[in-house]
Amino acid sequence: MFELKRTPFHERTSRLSLPQNWRRWAGYLVAGSYDLVLDREYWAIRDAAALIDITPLMKYVIEGPDAARLLHRMTPRDVLKMAVGQVFYTGWCDDDGKLLDDGTISRLSETKFRLTSAEPSLRWLAMNAVGMDVTITEVTDQVAALSLQGPKSRAILNRVCARPLDKLKFFRLTETRLAGKPVTISRTGYTGDLGYEIWMDAGDALAVWDALIEAGRDYGIVPCGILAMDMARVEAGLFMIDVDYTAANHAWIAGQKSTPFEMSLGWTVALDKPGYFVGRRALEREHKEGSAWKLIGLEVDWQGLEQLYARVGLPPQIPGMAMRGSLPVMHAGKQVGYASTSTWSPVLKKYIALAHVQRPHYEPGTALQMEVTVEHHRLHAPATVVKLPFYEPEWKKK
Amino acid sequence: MSSNQYDAIVIGAGHNGLVAAAYLARAGKKVVVLERREVVGGAAMTEEIFPGYRFTEFSYVVSLLRPEIIRDLELPRHGLKILPLPSTVTPLANGDYLGSWDDHDLTRQEVYRHSPKDAEAYDEYSRVMARAAKAIKPVIGMVPPDPSSLSPRDLLGLLKLGRYAKSLSEKELYRIAKLVTQSSADLLDEWFEFDALKGTKSASGIIGTFLGPRSPGTAYVLLHHYMGEIDGAFRAWGFAKNGTGGVSAAIASSARALGVEIRTNAPVEKVIVKGGVAAGVALQNGDELQAKIVLSAADPKRTFLQFVDDKHLPGEFTDAVRKFRVRGSSGKVNIALNALPNFTCLPGEGPLHRGAISISPSIDYIERAYDEAKYGAFSKNPYIDMIIPSMIDRDMAPPGHHVMSCFVQYAPYDIEGGWDDARREAFGETVISTIEQYAPNIRSCIVGKQVITPKDIERIAGITGGNIFHGELLLHQLFFFRPAPQWADFRTPLPGYYFGAAGAHPGGGVMGAPGKLAAEAILEDRK
Amino acid sequence: MAWDVILIGAGHNGLVAANYLAKAGRKVLVLERRNIPGGQLVTESFGEGFSVDALHASAQLRPDIVADLGLRIEASRAGAAYTCLLDGGKRLVIDADPARARAAIAEFSARDAERWPEFVAFMDRAAAFLDATYRTAMPRLPHFALREGLPLAGLLWKLRRLGGRDMFRVVRAMSMSAEEFTGDWFESAALRAAVSALAIHGVTLGPMSAGTGFTLMHNWLNRGGLAHRPIAGGVGTITAALIDALKSRGGEVRTAAEVRNVMIDGQRARGVRLASGEEIAASCVISAADPRHTFLQLVGAAELPPEFVWQAQSIKLRGCVAKVHVEADGRHGLPEGTLALAPSIRYLERAYDAAKYGEISAQPYLEVTTSGNVVSIHFQFAPYALRHVDWEAARAVVEQRAIDTLDAYCPGFKAAVARVHTITPRDLESDYGLSEGDLNHGQLILDQIFFMRPLPGWSKHATPIDGFYLCGGGVHGGGGISGASGRNAAKVLLS
Repeated sequence: MFELKRTPFHERTSRLSLPQNWRRWAGYLVAGSYDLVLDREYWAIRDAAALIDITPLMKYVIEGPDAARLLHRMTPRDVLKMAVGQVFYTGWCDDDGKLLDDGTISRLSETKFRLTSAEPSLRWLAMNAVGMDVTITEVTDQVAALSLQGPKSRAILNRVCARPLDKLKFFRLTETRLAGKPVTISRTGYTGDLGYEIWMDAGDALAVWDALIEAGRDYGIVPCGILAMDMARVEAGLFMIDVDYTAANHAWIAGQKSTPFEMSLGWTVALDKPGYFVGRRALEREHKEGSAWKLIGLEVDWQGLEQLYARVGLPPQIPGMAMRGSLPVMHAGKQVGYASTSTWSPVLKKYIALAHVQRPHYEPGTALQMEVTVEHHRLHAPATVVKLPFYEPEWKKK
Repeated sequence: MSSNQYDAIVIGAGHNGLVAAAYLARAGKKVVVLERREVVGGAAMTEEIFPGYRFTEFSYVVSLLRPEIIRDLELPRHGLKILPLPSTVTPLANGDYLGSWDDHDLTRQEVYRHSPKDAEAYDEYSRVMARAAKAIKPVIGMVPPDPSSLSPRDLLGLLKLGRYAKSLSEKELYRIAKLVTQSSADLLDEWFEFDALKGTKSASGIIGTFLGPRSPGTAYVLLHHYMGEIDGAFRAWGFAKNGTGGVSAAIASSARALGVEIRTNAPVEKVIVKGGVAAGVALQNGDELQAKIVLSAADPKRTFLQFVDDKHLPGEFTDAVRKFRVRGSSGKVNIALNALPNFTCLPGEGPLHRGAISISPSIDYIERAYDEAKYGAFSKNPYIDMIIPSMIDRDMAPPGHHVMSCFVQYAPYDIEGGWDDARREAFGETVISTIEQYAPNIRSCIVGKQVITPKDIERIAGITGGNIFHGELLLHQLFFFRPAPQWADFRTPLPGYYFGAAGAHPGGGVMGAPGKLAAEAILEDRK
Repeated sequence: MAWDVILIGAGHNGLVAANYLAKAGRKVLVLERRNIPGGQLVTESFGEGFSVDALHASAQLRPDIVADLGLRIEASRAGAAYTCLLDGGKRLVIDADPARARAAIAEFSARDAERWPEFVAFMDRAAAFLDATYRTAMPRLPHFALREGLPLAGLLWKLRRLGGRDMFRVVRAMSMSAEEFTGDWFESAALRAAVSALAIHGVTLGPMSAGTGFTLMHNWLNRGGLAHRPIAGGVGTITAALIDALKSRGGEVRTAAEVRNVMIDGQRARGVRLASGEEIAASCVISAADPRHTFLQLVGAAELPPEFVWQAQSIKLRGCVAKVHVEADGRHGLPEGTLALAPSIRYLERAYDAAKYGEISAQPYLEVTTSGNVVSIHFQFAPYALRHVDWEAARAVVEQRAIDTLDAYCPGFKAAVARVHTITPRDLESDYGLSEGDLNHGQLILDQIFFMRPLPGWSKHATPIDGFYLCGGGVHGGGGISGASGRNAAKVLLS
């Protein structure tokens, strides 16, 4: 009653977590990491397989003759064109075209969808569904979810699933059985690697966890917390609500809000789709006039960084985890933006950041500077605008 | 003993009078504060009614004390501590409860338990209200201009107001326009479905007002609750160490340190007027004090109808003051306990004892309580807001014992047949038996009880009508209508006579803003 | 056949707007759901010789509308009295003639009698101010352009001309309760109740509710004082005059033509689709229906932004009026003019209390008008949303209670009752198309007037759908019978 919610995997995860550094995620308690250092969990994502408890994601089942119409109206994507078994990633906006949240839409059947979101969305769904023949059910607590990410994830799943997943394409889903339990598996994730997300009844959670750990033993499966995932998602160019953008309904002032175009999500905005959708007019205007801001990737120039540290007689010092503090981004001595998440990328051996940059400085190749703190002094290291993602292995979509 | 010659005389040592005096002294004025009673504090006062048990007799929480006053008068150095009041629990008739805790996730879980829809609406509502509070806050700290005047000061004020309004977004402006005019029931019905949630939220819209939650204009007061939130880490919402008397004591201490003289047992008879301007004050004991500035921190009726002869004020003005509505609507029951009340909904000692406990199961419940009051009876099933100060500040009661403060609404000032001991006793009994429905052991824990009716508030604290805000927060008694049209700028038709208490803009609550703004008006005039 | 403008609803606002548009050369089609046009302005027959003004005992379009459109409307009968039925058989008769009214009031209070002419003059000034406000398009806050600012400045000038003191009094009085406002003027309980009754007429508020100062001014403006001024031949003659004028200007009215929805393509109105399936194209569509029905049913939530939909859902519609029409056998014994059963402010407030909890007033506020043998009783409060019974069962309750209550104050009335026809708030919705039976298309409460009517920021008749406008009582200027909303909408369209 006076404690945070625990996921159905808590019985396992709580025994495994050595540092016991619990984090809050949407009212749940989840493991920040399992090991005392992040390296093993991070490299499992990039080289083997990492098992991540993602149950706290908000989940909604939307069902009825108007289910597709509702999501078509609420999001900027052309949901009417979506095939059964397909998954869409999308943001959604208020009517001023400012992002409220982002998540995935899975089409489970002609008339049934599952929406995941970071923030509670029941109210917004209901506000959009007025006059529609549709039922909206929140299943956050009822549906447990695991993310299995890494190059070996497919091989592990093929060992325990009723059917092999070799034919399951990127952003598609399938229903199957895992260790005898009915599950839905989507080829999705938040790491930019080969990976799957497994959705199951909360009652089956422990059985599925145990089966995966058992089947993954020979492949180097590692339970992974959200801190290592945070590094991987930056490499993958994936942003996070409340860190890399402020939900329009959380913002205190207009300047805190962002549009899909500003978040480099222009590819999700189907301006050619038929009918009204929320934010349409504002997004049409922005599409025509161009965006004032853009979320881009910044690669810090290592030699430049080394020089800054060399002046005080130190080698570069970058913490081995993602940092969520905002860092000013400069051009010719003037601030033109800010980095919202920065991290050392172990796989790229680079210091990278997701940054919001003002027009015209957001074109790839632009030379900028990003703030670094060298021995208590705030300095600016040279950095270059690059296209996202920073890292995309060839097997991600294959 | 000092001579009776001062720069400024302040009538009333309530928190507003003390704040005004301190600000005047800070600007180098020689100031005396005259208090009718033997203690300072006015309605913000703590007294030991039973040996060892200390009651904050009237007001009971600190919600809106302006951060700049705390800073300017260095109140923490003078003993001000605001302790957290972390929760509100509404016990329900079915044995369940609705809780709101200081942790967002826990509160969300709790509301979700009753209504998933409301859990989300609750978050969104809190954000919208906090933004509206942020938008309206500068207006609260502003001297209301007179829109019918063409004086440069008023035109400048209007311009400032207009410019500020233009800086707000369209959404914010409409939100405020709606909040100012809407009933709290209508507002809450737009957002929520769970009765107890609506009831509890609506209660903060009717406190101190002789209106029910379905009356237009009650939504505005809901905003006050969110003002504290935008002070951010400042956290002005809570329970003051030693009760609200602790706040008054800190302000008095600060004022004295700044050179203010405070005279207690010094009831004022009249303001002395010479040549059409205020020249000092005559006390009831015949003493006379001289000053070119006299500031009243009493209620508007006493300030203008009692302290000043009618002949010194325009008839239209006194007429407006006479019509100013000051109907008291609430009472207090202060209880000394030898054990904690045990609430059926959350048995045993628990977090609910450290926060507010609200008897407000639904909007209808409160509206029906109002229905009875508007025809001249106290509510048979009243809204009660309880806190147990001794759980927050252990110095309020002997070890193991407790004091409980129950704010009760509605108790009309003009009760059918008039207040007497029998009716006061019946009122207290109604409150106890209402609490008993939720905490059956309450009666056996009581070792002493003080029942305060609006009549008692008038008698003890000297507030005409016994309204805790010195005047109802009605639409036509706010901003540039408070206390009277054209005289909302803390000045009065009598030159040299100023007015700075809860009956002036921005109104009541332990806020201190009227006192500060009045002092600023004086200093502006006497540059 | 392509129309320039289609109007949904042949009520007075729809017809006024249609006339203005036709006069400016537009090809106009008015579609009416019922078999007869008129909306709330109907004189209907409920049986042989039982013909009544069904919903409103009197009506006056704003004089400028009558002049602009050259309407031939029978002058209303002036000089009728407003008679308050009091306890103990007493009556307070407030005549339209101030001298006679004074004499009557003097029996209750000499001081009040003194103040009466001053009060009437004040109310007339307040009504004039309100009329000016209803003529002025409310700007969108806060980014209004100079073009919008000018009429507003004119309004403020008018406001100032009332004088600093008067201005304060009018604006302050709007937010006051009728109880407070009348208490500022008068001491006589009977007179205060008589005036307070007009303040709560047609709205779900009690005389102790804040904002009934405003509704008093609003009703005073629309009625031209306390008493009704009935129209010879019934209010339906106004509708007939509007239709004649429209036809002479080439406009067309189709009855029994219910609009199912507005056809929208790319957030632009293209015409309407009728319940019959027929589609009619037009370059512009105006709805005179109430805003909630208009947005949620005719337009459809799917075409509108979610926040807007939520606001439309939140429009407070609260029908609380039932009409009980009685045909008497000739000996009903009621005086001519307007009768108000409002013996005290507390009586009115208690009548309202019931409505708050979804109950029918045990002792209702009644306003009664007679026309020969026909007695029309306006019954308040009969809330649309009853909590304990349904309207099927409650119809008889209202009917009985109206007759019994009136009989108690006017003995002998009940014995004269021959035929009765009752219109409940449910009937107002199903037969007259008024959502929740709200005669004003939305409560006249402080948060639903001026620039917040029908929705904050949308007071200027336009909507989020291009080429689609509102002109009913639910828009600024509307509520009650005046035609102001229809006139204003037409002017917005033409500019």
